[in-house]
Amino acid sequence: MAVQTKSKPRSERLTGGDIFVQILLIAIGLMISMPIIIALFTSFKVPTQVVSFPPQVIPREWSVESYRIAWQVNPFGRFLLNSTIQSGVITICQVFFSVLAAYAFSVLDFPGRNALFYIVLGSLMIPFELVFIPNFQLVSAWGLGDTYGGLTLPFLVSAFGVFMLRQFFLTVPKDFHDAATIDGAGNWRYLWQILVPLSKGAIGAFAIFAFLSAWNQYLWPLIITNSVDMRTLQIGIRFFMSTLDRGADWGPVMAGSIIALAPALAAFLIAQKQLVRGIAMTGLKG
Amino acid sequence: MSQATISTEQALPTTPTRSRRRTRLGALLEGLLYLAPTLIGLALFIYWPIVESFRLSLNRVAPFGNRMRFVGFENYRTLLTDPEYWQSVRVTFWFVLGTVPVGIALAVLLAILLSYPLRHLSWLHRTLIFVPIVISSAITGVLFRWLYHPVVGYLNYWMVQIGIFDSMKDAPNWLSDKTWALVAVIIATTWRQLGFNVIIALAGVQNIDESFYDAAKVDGANSWQRIRHVTLPLLSPTLFFLLIINVIYSFQAFGEIDILTLGGPGRATTTMVYSIYVDAFVGTPMRGIASAQAYILAIVVIVMSFLQFATVSRRVHYQ
Repeated sequence: MAVQTKSKPRSERLTGGDIFVQILLIAIGLMISMPIIIALFTSFKVPTQVVSFPPQVIPREWSVESYRIAWQVNPFGRFLLNSTIQSGVITICQVFFSVLAAYAFSVLDFPGRNALFYIVLGSLMIPFELVFIPNFQLVSAWGLGDTYGGLTLPFLVSAFGVFMLRQFFLTVPKDFHDAATIDGAGNWRYLWQILVPLSKGAIGAFAIFAFLSAWNQYLWPLIITNSVDMRTLQIGIRFFMSTLDRGADWGPVMAGSIIALAPALAAFLIAQKQLVRGIAMTGLKG
Repeated sequence: MSQATISTEQALPTTPTRSRRRTRLGALLEGLLYLAPTLIGLALFIYWPIVESFRLSLNRVAPFGNRMRFVGFENYRTLLTDPEYWQSVRVTFWFVLGTVPVGIALAVLLAILLSYPLRHLSWLHRTLIFVPIVISSAITGVLFRWLYHPVVGYLNYWMVQIGIFDSMKDAPNWLSDKTWALVAVIIATTWRQLGFNVIIALAGVQNIDESFYDAAKVDGANSWQRIRHVTLPLLSPTLFFLLIINVIYSFQAFGEIDILTLGGPGRATTTMVYSIYVDAFVGTPMRGIASAQAYILAIVVIVMSFLQFATVSRRVHYQ
């Protein structure tokens, strides 16, 4: 299910319809991304010009003052570090463990394999709301509330990743495995020296999914963190916004939001194709 | 989904030899070694909590104390007779009804537009239309809170400019009016979901074989008739899939509500999920009754998920 234009230019001439659709799509696209564009422009306004009537989209003067203020009244550096550690640990572990499990479910053959696969797959159906209260109590009981361990521990494995990578591993011809076995390579060596390098694209795509969903997490970091120093960017912004409702402070709030969404946006711009293909193929977003 | 793997277990020989048995045991152990992290993780943080959640839902914190007391199905009974709980069910119903059909209709419309064969800038269209997909629910809330600002917000200003409202005074006070607050969280959530929906719908549209259109053209169908009688019927498995998955996602929407309205004003935007969060983590924790609510919500979501899994395989077979 590749998402790409099937279009073959029918003729070299631009028709009226082409131009109409072109303009329509750009207009709709701008409308949809408008909230982000406005946030970006707002964050670069001079703080005193953020609130104005009539509201002006493009800054009259450009300034990074809002970023400075946001950084001054919040430990944004610390939030950024927390988000990076949290998402980094989750992404690395999910990728590593999913590769292992996907290998077992696609190449290895052992009794009970299908039953175990359904147990893993079945967990995808369980809504987070059903498990988050016991998880909170468990993680707290282990003394991991308000720690990096608490932030990451429930998300170190991913049934979605196992499913996605298994589907890919199944497309790799079995001959490779047979050849490797004849050459005396065991499963472990075949996996890391042949299968993983062959699957770089799929593994990379899953890594992006894992990173995005970890970076954007909200409910769990909200309940498991207590101290300001353990907040991720998402949570930091929430408390930043809730402490002030005077119009003048919207500039720094928007600046903070831009900082929080920039890494996700960058990942999207770099790997849009893989992301789109992954979603179209699995029907899930991680 | 897994047709490809259902490798029929090799028929056991009538008299299994020792070594064969040992290799099967070895294979099992090796498999389990690869699966260990995933199985342990899922057992600890998904499967055990399902049981624990149910246990919690049968208990209640005794007044003036931290001790949980077994009360049987009392929490469920309380919920079903609690008008506040039914209010959250109603809010959820309107929330789902507000996000899902509009979201799917927009997605299909955009997918049809995006599949129009253009030679230029299609990367730009896609980027601009897909981009909300990477924005978190919390940031979505913040961005929209700025747009909804009653005095200096862009949304009201533009609506007055294009004549939807006569003046800023007539324009809605988005987050403090009960009805508009629900509309506000619906718009924000629909926006965040849109990219995902368009990608799925576009994949569906592009999956339709060109020959159907050619045949319709030969029969003299115009573009609207081709969409109505070729695209939409052939898209129905995709539409059904979108319906289910959007209902599931909408049931679970949390971030936008927490940032935009905190479930208010009053309980006007307190959905079932938000109510679980409030009961379990805001003020005095009432984890028993929150767990009972989580169970009720989960049953709805799990039933939907079963349907979803059925459609995933349908979708794949459709190619």
